[in-house]
Amino acid sequence: MAGQGDTGTKEEIKTQFTTVEGVYRLLSPSEYSRPNRVAYSSSGGGGSTPAVRVSLVKVSDSPGHDHDRTKICFNYGRELFVYTYRGIKKAADLTKPIDKRSYNKEDVPTCHDFNSKTATADGVSLLVGLLGGQIQLIDPITKEVNKAYNAGERLIDKTKVTCVRWVPGSPNQFLAAHSSGHMYTYNEELLCGMDRPHYQLFKQGEGYSVYTCKTKSTRNPLYRWVIGEGSINEFAFSPCSKYLAVVSQDGYLKVFNFDTMDLVGTARSYYGGLLCVCWSPDGRYVVCGGEDDLITVWSYKEKRVVARGQGHKSWVTVVAFDSFTSVYSDAEGVDGCSDDTTKHNSFSNDVHNSKTNSGVPNSRPSSNRNSVASDSSGMSFITSYRLGSVGQDTLLCLWDLKDDALTQPYRRPRSSTVVSSSGVVAGSGVPQAGQPTTNSKCNSVKDSVATDSSHHSHSANSLTAKLANLNFGEKKDKEKSEKDHKRSLSLASKNSTQNCKGYVNKNQIVGSSVPSEDSQKPMGTPLCPRLDECPMLEPMVCKKIGHERLSGLVFREDCVITSCQDGCILTWCRPGKQPGSNQHSTPSPTTAVAMGGGPMPSGGTVV
Amino acid sequence: MGANASQLEKEIGADQFPPNEHYIGLVNFGNTCYINSVLQALYFCKPFREKILEYKAKNKRTKETLLACLADLFYSIATQKKKVGSIAPKKFIARFRKENVKFDNYMQQDAHEFFVQLIDSINETIMEKQLAGRSQGGSSGRVGGGDGEQQAGGGGQQDSGGGGGNTQHQQQQQQQQENTWVHEIFQAVVTRELRCLNCEAVRSTDEVLNNLSVEVHQNTSITHCLRCFFSTETISAENKVLCENCCSLQEHQKRTRVKKLPTILVLHLKRFQFLGQYNRTLKLSHRVVFPLELRVFDTSLDAVNPDRLYDLAAVVVHCGTGINRGHYISIVKSHRFWLLFDDDAVDKIDPSLMEEFYGLTSELQKSSETGYILFYQARDPT
Repeated sequence: MAGQGDTGTKEEIKTQFTTVEGVYRLLSPSEYSRPNRVAYSSSGGGGSTPAVRVSLVKVSDSPGHDHDRTKICFNYGRELFVYTYRGIKKAADLTKPIDKRSYNKEDVPTCHDFNSKTATADGVSLLVGLLGGQIQLIDPITKEVNKAYNAGERLIDKTKVTCVRWVPGSPNQFLAAHSSGHMYTYNEELLCGMDRPHYQLFKQGEGYSVYTCKTKSTRNPLYRWVIGEGSINEFAFSPCSKYLAVVSQDGYLKVFNFDTMDLVGTARSYYGGLLCVCWSPDGRYVVCGGEDDLITVWSYKEKRVVARGQGHKSWVTVVAFDSFTSVYSDAEGVDGCSDDTTKHNSFSNDVHNSKTNSGVPNSRPSSNRNSVASDSSGMSFITSYRLGSVGQDTLLCLWDLKDDALTQPYRRPRSSTVVSSSGVVAGSGVPQAGQPTTNSKCNSVKDSVATDSSHHSHSANSLTAKLANLNFGEKKDKEKSEKDHKRSLSLASKNSTQNCKGYVNKNQIVGSSVPSEDSQKPMGTPLCPRLDECPMLEPMVCKKIGHERLSGLVFREDCVITSCQDGCILTWCRPGKQPGSNQHSTPSPTTAVAMGGGPMPSGGTVV
Repeated sequence: MGANASQLEKEIGADQFPPNEHYIGLVNFGNTCYINSVLQALYFCKPFREKILEYKAKNKRTKETLLACLADLFYSIATQKKKVGSIAPKKFIARFRKENVKFDNYMQQDAHEFFVQLIDSINETIMEKQLAGRSQGGSSGRVGGGDGEQQAGGGGQQDSGGGGGNTQHQQQQQQQQENTWVHEIFQAVVTRELRCLNCEAVRSTDEVLNNLSVEVHQNTSITHCLRCFFSTETISAENKVLCENCCSLQEHQKRTRVKKLPTILVLHLKRFQFLGQYNRTLKLSHRVVFPLELRVFDTSLDAVNPDRLYDLAAVVVHCGTGINRGHYISIVKSHRFWLLFDDDAVDKIDPSLMEEFYGLTSELQKSSETGYILFYQARDPT
């Protein structure tokens, strides 16, 4: 009864989903959670418990079986669990955690990270960040290590630790971000000192500054980064470990050269805080998700937002690339890359893309390792990226980001849709008509008005294109030219107010009400293009997979791991990897689940 | 009240306390929290407050209207000697009950309904004044009408940006009524478009709304609720509509787009659902997250300022189980602070506490503290 309107249309929770490569299935035996699952009261505001996150690590020299070599850590409420992750081969044994810890209600774990460089069967280094600001270093295997940083009086930072990660390849340095908007570099071997640290400015740039500790002997923290306004929500090292992408509550993505501490790039959400960030496996793109319900794709090379994705119904909590499903091609075939020339890539290291382990281990094949500038010579590179995202909407979205969709030039607002939707009008010179009225000296970004208009791929900008068509379809021919003329004028005035302050358009149709934008404002610039200036992508798969909001997503070679606020860690078996079944991705005839999400292979239709 | 008030002052700190700002609670006269919460939210919508205080300054002696009572109340808050404390909005509530029979009792009422009534009432008063000013204009009305004329002139000019561009559109109703500053602040113009799928002809109707009432769904965001409000639907099969162009029944596509975004975007979450067969109203406590910044996705191509960025200015929160019981409080942003107004009590809160008011993911609990009316204020460069 209580369910009348809304619950009536409630979506069913899916236990499988279909992509071009086949069917992913939920493996119930491989579900991890707290051992005896009593209904954890999600009462009391329903919001304040930290997100359930997952960290994984593969120990290097285990004498045991291969499937015993991966350790999994997750937090749930006041508790932290470490298990052996048996993957898809063996069911989870929840009765035998490697370690289980309970924390104070006021100081619950919020994030954690294994050191993948130092991990062995005899010991692993696990960092745990706490709500009160403290960071612990523990060894859940030997239980001998037990260090604490920013403990007690918490002289360094009293706010929540939002993200903690080992510096890739380093045995002893790690980075911790706080909701204060500060981020600290620690060396686990150093002490934090008994008195409040005194900071000295070390490096400064637009919107950030870095300080060192002013003491005679080196102590923790080694550095303090102050970035933007508001909480730092997550950071991620690039695959080559050289760059660090940081997202904040103020809606900014900032990309730094980690060693030189120079700011190399910036982007802005459409609105609201950015909550999560990740790098493409080849380091060419950074993707973030946030409170605008969007994913935002930023190109390292072009230093601009190249696409957005709309599919979530609430805030996006985790984004992660699936390097195992990304499609590679030879550099020669840039334009004509077809499916024949592509091959599926499979890295031997199965944790490198995990959210918690963005440092790339050295064991990885090196072809596109350092490829931040890798479009060059003869190397194979990715032409289609598989990206996954989960959100507070309980949805898992999978996106295929095609290289050609991401390399469209910066689109001029409005006029480009005019061009693409009606060639005649374009020919009669809408852009030209608009431009002379604007100006001659400040049209820096938009020389490419007409060039991009001729094509758009199906995945790209279909939405904006549709809208444009819809709108232009509505007008009678007579009105059309007049209207378009007006629009181009209004466009002109818009651009002028935006690009060169002080210019006053005679035609005040829009000019009067469009405020002259401060040059600091990113809207309408490559940092934050308007909706019609950049392709809006749609997810290939969009499935409800949990009762509660989702908070973790890790891609592995044979499976996908998701975590949910209700404390369940789910394992989704990749197509063809099902234990005890050799059939390749043929869905059983009994599965009548409609998978309406995206394009399906012609042979893989679900009955 | 005294202890609490001074504590707030201490917490903010004398040197941090914004100059010319007052955090004054409103006394509850028995289930009047639905009024108090909306008044506080409106008081902290700066453009609205400024207009009300301006009205007060320009209209010293006027007959008692709801607007005059509100102006007195805002003036009294703004001119308090103390920076914190509480006052009793006695006159305002009495006047409101007198004007609105439905609210003339001591029952708990719907804060959204109150908001709508209040805005309509203020608007009517101003419009009457404008008309009066106009008719007297030539002869003797200098003193009384000057203000009104000025207002009307200002309104008309600003409107030319939004309304002027629309004339090409087929409009079934031409809104010829005069604009007031209330319209300027709250009014969104939405276009409802009906597109014939056969000939592509589009008929559009403009509609003005002082707030947008959106459906709520579990585990979604206000962004999503807004997108549903503007979603496109196809009218087909038996529901085909006559297309004047094709002179026959055709499939149509129906959609709504925003043509003009208001200065203050008021979003009402439809959390109260009337169940006919049980003759009672159910509260939907669904978790709907709302960010501190917002833009509207579904603007029409001729929209004036489609990228307009909004900041959350105030939230009216409903606490409890149903429409006629429970309690209303409001959370407002003032300068750098977030404050919680619970009738006469005022507290400074951390913005991270906002999470407590998104709603519940569990369907089992009946009582909840949930965001009910959101006030987003445009961040226009000055």
